[in-house]
Amino acid sequence: MRRSLIAVAALVTTLLTAVPRGQTADTGSIVGHVTLTTKVRGVPMPSASYPGRTVGQHEPPTIPEIKNVVVYLKDVVFRGTLPLRKAELRQEHETFIPHVVAITRGSTVEFPNDDPIFHNVFSLSGAANFNLGRYPKGQSKPWRFTKAGIVKVFCDIHSHMSATILVLDNPYFTIPEKDGSFEIANVPPGQYTLVGWHERVGERTTTVRVERGKAVTVDLSLPVEDRQ
Amino acid sequence: MSERRTPPRLVTKTLAVTFGTVVLILLFVFAVVTFSVRDQVRQSVAGNLASSQRLFAALETRRQQELVSQAATFAENPTLKAALDTYQAESRTGAEALRSQLLRTIDGELAKVAARFEADALVLVDMRQNTLAAAGRLSDRWPRGRPVALTGAKDGNLDGIARMGGTTFRVAAVPLRLSDDTTIGTLYLATSLDSAYASDLAQVSGTPTAIISNGLLLGSTLTPEGAHQFESAVGLARPLDGVITLDGQSYAFRRLVGIGDTVFYALGSIDGSSREAMRQAMWNLTVIAFGALSLALLGSLSLARLLAKPIGHLSSSLNQMAASHAVAATLPLTGSSREVDALTDTFNALMASVAKAEAQTEAAYTGAIRALATALDARDPYTAGHSERVSVISVAIGRGLGLPEDDLEVLRLGALLHDIGKIGVPDQVLMKSSGLTDAEFAAIKLHPVLGARILRPVPFLARHIPIVELHHERPDGRGYPFGLRGDDIPLAARIVHVADAYDAITSARAYRAARPSNDALREIWRCAGTEFHAEIVAALANALPGVTSDDGQVTLQSV
Repeated sequence: MRRSLIAVAALVTTLLTAVPRGQTADTGSIVGHVTLTTKVRGVPMPSASYPGRTVGQHEPPTIPEIKNVVVYLKDVVFRGTLPLRKAELRQEHETFIPHVVAITRGSTVEFPNDDPIFHNVFSLSGAANFNLGRYPKGQSKPWRFTKAGIVKVFCDIHSHMSATILVLDNPYFTIPEKDGSFEIANVPPGQYTLVGWHERVGERTTTVRVERGKAVTVDLSLPVEDRQ
Repeated sequence: MSERRTPPRLVTKTLAVTFGTVVLILLFVFAVVTFSVRDQVRQSVAGNLASSQRLFAALETRRQQELVSQAATFAENPTLKAALDTYQAESRTGAEALRSQLLRTIDGELAKVAARFEADALVLVDMRQNTLAAAGRLSDRWPRGRPVALTGAKDGNLDGIARMGGTTFRVAAVPLRLSDDTTIGTLYLATSLDSAYASDLAQVSGTPTAIISNGLLLGSTLTPEGAHQFESAVGLARPLDGVITLDGQSYAFRRLVGIGDTVFYALGSIDGSSREAMRQAMWNLTVIAFGALSLALLGSLSLARLLAKPIGHLSSSLNQMAASHAVAATLPLTGSSREVDALTDTFNALMASVAKAEAQTEAAYTGAIRALATALDARDPYTAGHSERVSVISVAIGRGLGLPEDDLEVLRLGALLHDIGKIGVPDQVLMKSSGLTDAEFAAIKLHPVLGARILRPVPFLARHIPIVELHHERPDGRGYPFGLRGDDIPLAARIVHVADAYDAITSARAYRAARPSNDALREIWRCAGTEFHAEIVAALANALPGVTSDDGQVTLQSV
């Protein structure tokens, strides 16, 4: 058993050294960097003298804004079976973590409650209209997303809780690393529209040509304030 | 000469002067009080407005904060937020049916909130500042998709003014946020600024109120006419405070709250407040005036008494003196005042000099008359000194009878003049030594009447005339010129009659020698009761030793 593991590792190492990373022989890849530039948050409004209603002390873990960005290829006709992903959207410190999840159509998302209070999960979006009801800590409820689109998820107990699930029709998408770098591998050669998406900005697109066995480099910038 | 007007009495004058002064002072005080009361009332009304403005501002801030807090609570509506956020996400890609369904959800949630909320309109505004949904009584002023401009909302201030559909709203804005402090929209609590709002303000501030926005009056609790005047007076200037006359009434006004071009004013009626204060002040002033006038009345009366009494006293003394011709009398000093005493002194001095002059005149007259009498006596050597002697004897008799000094003086002069009428009797008749004819005797008998006639023009000899005229009347009525009887004959005339007879008997005549005093007395005693009055004869007898020398001759020293 152990021997076979070592053999696989050796094979992978060989493959990675032979061809560019994340790339099979007849596909190319897109690598790049996403930069968050300016602050575009709509018309600035006066801050409320009354703080948002919260229950107890809640210190949401700081998620870098870059993790709320999704990079994907648009309008790709994907033939074959979409690889399914298992994703998890936890409810912790009265916050959905992570704030943005990207999945392929048909994938299921689990919504575990890690808070010592009841939570609820519901959505009014066109891509998925559901309500998982309220449940306590330790329980989790799944939902399978069968339609592509943007799904906004809320909790009907805590109005400030929200998350976004991007349900995509192809597997060519990723969420950048903390430093903004991303890579979309195994992309068939061709001309594509590459999208950098943020919930407050929407789509920022650029055209990209993928060539066999090569990694094309694209840099994206989104006018979003980086909170870090 | 023009008709002399009677001058006013002293008391009238003092009353007029004191009353005039008091009334002047009261008028001045009235003017000062009127002015100062109005001024004080204006200040106190302005002060009340200022303090009520502070109170109101505090209340209003609190009210607005509570409104916002309440709205913020309602804004924490998960369904509303979810529908709004989803709607905005789907607005780019989603189907029309889905969007309208989301809008219906938003409308429904908003209506639920509005039902529990006292706002004229509850409006949801999206991130592009367009109306997305509205609920409430005046929601029709906020049609979907209409851009909203909020004026007066400054940083940190959620209070603003919005004009929608011809209505001006006061707006409290509450942002709708998600957990990552993302604003997804704004909830507006809009209250229509109209007369109902002005009434609410009036209830809070306790004064009339008016709302002026952009120079136009939106609502007030004033009368329509007053509101119109206030609108045109305040207009766009939006002064902080001031004084204004509305509908003929004076008001102080002060800005309660100003939001952008919209200002809430509180007004305080100065006239209304000053009327009460004036009434109080006037009542006090009336009491004071009454007291002052009473005091003035008393004061002027006593002053008049003080002045008029001694003068009146002096005047009545003078009247008495004038009536009694007592020119020599001295007026007593009243001691009431230096001036009146000085007047009395001057008067006394004047009267003394008058009396002196009169005495001199009298003496001159007397001297002249005496000279005349002496000259008359001198016509006949036998009658020389007769008048003087009769005078001495008469006075002696009179003194013996206890006559007062005044009467004695009259007697002295009257006796001296008793034969003055003989000036009209011819010398040959007068000095005839033999018997007289009837005609001659009749001529002699005329001398008393003649004497009286001579003396009558001299006023101060009025009391002497009876002596001259009646010194030949006899108690038995056989005397001349009138034949008076007994007591009808004045005492002085009786005395002179007796003294005349005595001197005639004791003096020599051309036709006989002088007879001694005793003979004369005897002769006269014989005729007492018929020719002479008995009591006078007795007095003569008593008096003679004092006026005659040892030989019975009358001495003239005492004249």
